[in-house]
Amino acid sequence: MKVFKELYQYREFLFTNVKKDIRGKYKASFLGVLWSFINPLLQVTVYAIVFPYLMRGQTIPNYLLFIICGIIPWTWFTMSMMNGTTCITNNGNLIKKVYFPREILPISSVTSGCVNFLISCLIILLFAIFTGSGITWHIIFLPLIMIVQYIFSLALVFLTSAINVYIKDVEYMINFIINLLFYATPILYPASMFDGTKFAFIFKLNPFAYLVEAYRNIFYAHEIPGMKQLLGLLGVGLLILIVCYMLFKKLEKRFAEEI
Amino acid sequence: MKKDVAIKVTNMTKWFKYYSDKANTMKERLVRGWKKNKNEVHTVLKSIDLEIKKGETVALIGVNGSGKSTLLKLMTKIIFPNKGRVTTYGKLTSLLELGAGFHPDFTGRENIYFNAAIFGLTKKEIDERLDKIIEFSELGEFIDSPVRTYSSGMYMRLAFAVAINVDADILLIDEILAVGDQHFQDKCFAKLEELAKSDMTIVIVSHSLDAVKRLCNRGIWIHEGEVRMDGECEKVIDEYIKECA
Repeated sequence: MKVFKELYQYREFLFTNVKKDIRGKYKASFLGVLWSFINPLLQVTVYAIVFPYLMRGQTIPNYLLFIICGIIPWTWFTMSMMNGTTCITNNGNLIKKVYFPREILPISSVTSGCVNFLISCLIILLFAIFTGSGITWHIIFLPLIMIVQYIFSLALVFLTSAINVYIKDVEYMINFIINLLFYATPILYPASMFDGTKFAFIFKLNPFAYLVEAYRNIFYAHEIPGMKQLLGLLGVGLLILIVCYMLFKKLEKRFAEEI
Repeated sequence: MKKDVAIKVTNMTKWFKYYSDKANTMKERLVRGWKKNKNEVHTVLKSIDLEIKKGETVALIGVNGSGKSTLLKLMTKIIFPNKGRVTTYGKLTSLLELGAGFHPDFTGRENIYFNAAIFGLTKKEIDERLDKIIEFSELGEFIDSPVRTYSSGMYMRLAFAVAINVDADILLIDEILAVGDQHFQDKCFAKLEELAKSDMTIVIVSHSLDAVKRLCNRGIWIHEGEVRMDGECEKVIDEYIKECA
């Protein structure tokens, strides 16, 4: 409970941190914050052009919306992991000189990604309308899916940011791991493509496979996401979050000395 | 816990490990196997016992490397003791560094929010102090220009103005008394004197002995990680000067 009280006390720090993350990053550029939306859009364009050729004749209706539902949430995850992993080491100056609850830094990395994602949802909705797919009441499940993704991202960021203080290689490895995960998650292709192959188990173990599926349920297929999986994921996520948080608290004691 | 205690240090020991050749990267670790790094333990503070009462203004003095700053960091909870305990009662602010969290592309006004938020102030609390901070910094119209356009003096003035207006119960200061020109220094000093007279607890690490003498009522001389002398500020400083000379 003391943790929550302190985090509440420092809420303004969390808020300004998120603000600095979102507005500060592109402040000097001409297009500013727009870049955080242009980038995923450009990415989508490339995949939308290239991938249909690689799909061996298998066609997915409304492929553009199909990949946007995967890429936009994935951008949130990538952003959280990239900024999150280095959030302690990059703020070494603060850590060494000022006391504040250290967990604010990982939390704000994931939160600024989350805010970015919320705005990006407008892009998904725009595409849903213009591709003729439309919007249905199913998007009320969005907050639940986001909470699950938030919990998983935060747990991972707690883990990687703390370890990165002691082993600096983590931030370089994370790049590769995210890339690998990107292809191990059914973002560009439907999970059903691997039905019956020896790779099918990957989607069973990968929480992001379920998440992308759920985003697609509400934005693309207009159906109720699998509640059993989502709630199960929520439970597992919370458990992992607690473990990672405890580890973070243990490692944080020597942050100031190791950075 | 007695009510009038602000900071309590009990039997506290702190050591640092110096790695003579630390395996920093994964590669080095793997090449060398997972065996322990060779290291030397350097004890910086040796079973320190201290009790600082509410409202006291304490000077920590000592030669370079005696452990004063480490003690201050332990009180701030930036680092943690290896043995013993450091307990503080009340809201604590440390001025170990000015301008922490400043972002060069944002205006002075926005940076006041960033900086004050790091000290744990809420939006409402900052709003209340905003005018006082701007006035104290004497930045005038520049407050709405990006901080990157500031001179270093202006930068420090803004940072100090924020830090001094945080209103904590305990204030820890590490050698930052010399900020800006003579006029601003005098102003800062006057403000510190005012705070020292209030019931705020202040701990200062400084080598400006004259300033400290005027400000503090208690002196603690740290020598090689131990409390060499603890008592009335003037006496402690006089002894310290004698020893150093």
